[in-house]
Amino acid sequence: MREFFHLLRKVIRTGVARSRFLMAAVGLGIAMLLILVSIQTYTDFNQLLYGTQNQNETADFLVINKKITNAMMGQANKSAFSTEELDNIKKQSFVQSFGVVTPSQFRVVAQAPGDLHFATDMFFEAVPDSFLDVKDEDWKWEQGSKTIPIILPNDFLNLYNFGFSLSQDLPQISQETVKALPLQINISGNGKSDSYMGHIVGFSDRISSFLVPSSFMTWANQAYGTGIVNGTTRVIIKTPDPSNPKLVKFLDDNGYTTNQDKLKFSKTRMIVQTIVSVVGFFGLILLFFALLVFSMFIQLVIAGAKDEIQLLVTLGAAPKQLRRYLLKQFVPIYIVVGIITLLLVTAFQYIAAMALSRHNMLVDPWPGIGVFGAIAMILLLVYFVNWLTVRKYVNR
Amino acid sequence: MEIQLSQLMPIPLQDKLLQRNSDIWNKEVTFQQGTFVKIKAPSGSGKTTLIHYLYNIRYDYTGQIRIDRKPWPSFLKDEISAIRQQSLSIIFQDLRLFDQLTAKENVELKRVMIPEPFCTSEKVEEMAHRLKVAHVLKQSGKTLSYGERQRIAIIRALSQPFKWLLMDEPFSHLDEENTKLAARLIAEECKSRNAGFILTDLDHDQHFSYDVNYNL
Repeated sequence: MREFFHLLRKVIRTGVARSRFLMAAVGLGIAMLLILVSIQTYTDFNQLLYGTQNQNETADFLVINKKITNAMMGQANKSAFSTEELDNIKKQSFVQSFGVVTPSQFRVVAQAPGDLHFATDMFFEAVPDSFLDVKDEDWKWEQGSKTIPIILPNDFLNLYNFGFSLSQDLPQISQETVKALPLQINISGNGKSDSYMGHIVGFSDRISSFLVPSSFMTWANQAYGTGIVNGTTRVIIKTPDPSNPKLVKFLDDNGYTTNQDKLKFSKTRMIVQTIVSVVGFFGLILLFFALLVFSMFIQLVIAGAKDEIQLLVTLGAAPKQLRRYLLKQFVPIYIVVGIITLLLVTAFQYIAAMALSRHNMLVDPWPGIGVFGAIAMILLLVYFVNWLTVRKYVNR
Repeated sequence: MEIQLSQLMPIPLQDKLLQRNSDIWNKEVTFQQGTFVKIKAPSGSGKTTLIHYLYNIRYDYTGQIRIDRKPWPSFLKDEISAIRQQSLSIIFQDLRLFDQLTAKENVELKRVMIPEPFCTSEKVEEMAHRLKVAHVLKQSGKTLSYGERQRIAIIRALSQPFKWLLMDEPFSHLDEENTKLAARLIAEECKSRNAGFILTDLDHDQHFSYDVNYNL
């Protein structure tokens, strides 16, 4: 068969418009490069965002509430989530787990112990334990216990220590001291009033509220509550990626708000995604045109050798043989282009990985599986289109 | 391989041919494998047309041509190629060589078209010697004389396996001596393959010991 193909080369000239064909091959190379680079950039970016090497904590917690607008002021109900809204949040793909922040339905007054004549009205909230960043064995409450464990927001202590105490000539207090302070907590409501001991067990960076265990909250809301349920106004979600543009869009669309600082990566990410998509899109367009040129080139070759092909078939050459011959003239070039492109992408990736590692950003120095998948797909596509063209024109 | 013609009639020549008597057109004819068939045909009686019908490169006829009881149109493209590579060879009246190939390459193209070539390259050289065209084997097809081309076309047809050889005025450009040489070679090759041939020509001739004679 080799000898036959060797002779065919003299009969069916594939050399016509060779320069145009090579230009199309270069175009194919650039198209592949753009597509592969965009895929690889996307892979790298994801690695930087989610890679275990680049992050201590993969998930993040967000407390979400409705934005309070002027129109809503004075109507507490409007800031509450309806059941449908809660279900809707729960079923979003970026929500890994979901909990409601339960507010207290009773009055709370906290008193400093001993001679510190200090008392303040306050409130409690409760969240499921799994959302807490404070782990303490005292964080539990059983019915009948007169001691309530409390978690304070870290910001609260900071406000006192660095804002209030200095200006009022009061002593600054360490976390340990606060934990040791016995607080008297008076809870009243539903015609009852009781005294409890408040015991601060930790400080939360995650949730800005005064937290008590859910078990206490459930019991106390029944015992002292007015029975009027205010509805959920704040929910807490665990999300693998707070910079997920879908999350940001969801919050915006629904008029919800959260700690904006945690969403700041979202914009960067959207810009990168847009650029990557645009580059990939141009790659696809270029690929389309390269395919078009190849098809036209094959058509040209076949049309140019129409009489010869006719005679070859008359002499007994099988259309199958001729198709195989024609594909053999073109396909190796595509494979070479594919390999060169792959080498280039590998080189780029290696250089990029080296450059990033200097900034302590670790990415794989090898192209990702997506790149290999994509190049295989593109080559298969090119082969398929060529095969179709050859089949279409060498079948008479 | 048996070739059967059944009520075969070329559509373009229909009116003309119906007025004359023919042994082939519009008749039932069977060519048995291994027979040497001569079809004598005056100009314009559809001689080349018949050869093209038999080789299945023209289809404008009524009636049927059956190859081993199977009509030509029922063969697939790849089956037809296989028949042309293994069972049916042809020498065209207009020779049909590739100008861009040398004489030798023209034969080689046909020889190596088959995955397992039937004869060796040396055999081709030998046949060229016998037909006195060995010296032109390296020349481009373009520069050959008609006589040389005709002999190359004969060698090309003989370089493949076949059960039937179709010949359309195969010696039209050859002198008597060269015709004799070519005829002897063709007869030998047919015998060695246990193959038959169908030869069309204008006149009577004694080139072969024909088994059957027809008038077209």
